[in-house]
Amino acid sequence: MAVVIGVLLVAFVAGVFGSMLGVGGGIIMVPVLSLAFGVPIKTAIATSIICVIATSSMAQTTFAARGMTNMRLGMFLEVATTVGALAGGITAVLIDGGILQACFAVLLFYVAWQMSRRRGDVVPVEGPVMPSSYYDPAQGRQVSYGVHGLGAGFALSVVAGNVSGLLGVGGGAFKVPIMNLLMGVPLKATIATSNLMIGVTAATSAAIFYGRGYVDPRWAVPAALGILVGARIGPRFAIHLPARILVLIFEVVLVVFGLLMLLKALGVGV
Amino acid sequence: MNDRPAHVMDPIERLVSRVLGVGIAVAVALMLSGLVLGVAKGEGVPAHVVPLADLLTGLTALDPAAWLSAGLLVLVATPFVRVGGSVVTFAVERDRRYVLVTAVVLAVMCLGVLLGRV
Repeated sequence: MAVVIGVLLVAFVAGVFGSMLGVGGGIIMVPVLSLAFGVPIKTAIATSIICVIATSSMAQTTFAARGMTNMRLGMFLEVATTVGALAGGITAVLIDGGILQACFAVLLFYVAWQMSRRRGDVVPVEGPVMPSSYYDPAQGRQVSYGVHGLGAGFALSVVAGNVSGLLGVGGGAFKVPIMNLLMGVPLKATIATSNLMIGVTAATSAAIFYGRGYVDPRWAVPAALGILVGARIGPRFAIHLPARILVLIFEVVLVVFGLLMLLKALGVGV
Repeated sequence: MNDRPAHVMDPIERLVSRVLGVGIAVAVALMLSGLVLGVAKGEGVPAHVVPLADLLTGLTALDPAAWLSAGLLVLVATPFVRVGGSVVTFAVERDRRYVLVTAVVLAVMCLGVLLGRV
């Protein structure tokens, strides 16, 4: 019983942060389940993937209602990440996993530094490509923007999909900087769109994990229930907090995530 | 502070969003029923999900594992519904390019599931 309550609470926290930042919460769920609760790694990953879907779908009921999700952008980049994930096998042969992890840890630090240098959100620029707008309660005004750098965004998303498939980490930490820094999408629209994409990516893996019997209801059910409650609340923070606060929290997550990956690359068990 | 969303959703976008909400509610109801059944029967929570083929028999036999599995499956199905709904949304908007893009995403999702079963 204590274990069930523990899983519920951890999942709740993962749901709040995962949906607030558009990264899913797998970063929290996998290590906590496997280290603190002694769940076998494949079961922990299966549970985490179910959690990502729960986060995504629950958060979408809020973000979509606010018009923050850019469906065209999400589907366009989803093609790229899927192509990248399918090509994962090729990269695995070419590059050593440890080196790849170290490279991406460095990249995460670099992105965090770039975000902190700018001190806040991108200035939205209207344009003809996938134009969208939403109401930002923190600014008290309508934010309109167009998407820029489509080619570069697509290319980097192929790489991000490839690497996140290989390293088994959620792509949210890569998707958010690509859309926000590179493609000029305001942070709140980025978070909402990333939230949509992670669920789409996770759904296929979840169905496969289910078919192979790795889903264990003892972990998946309390985790899913906790996540759903958390992901009901998280988007409200994302919507109402000023973008610069969200950027700050995201930077902390990137640095922690980078450190974890660096430790993994050095062979320290995490 | 004026918190009203200025964005007006088109009817289909609203429908997709509502279907997602209903899907989540059904998933939660199924999982909670499974937990109650497990406690009532004194079996606790089972360690394995029920294969798709045995789901219906399990549900009618009030097997807790089947009810929990059904809840998890409905949850896993929600992104498929989301993407499928978007294909319809773009079709109604007569945006052929994004009907194609979204249909490709949906096809890859389904293909992945089929290939992964081998």
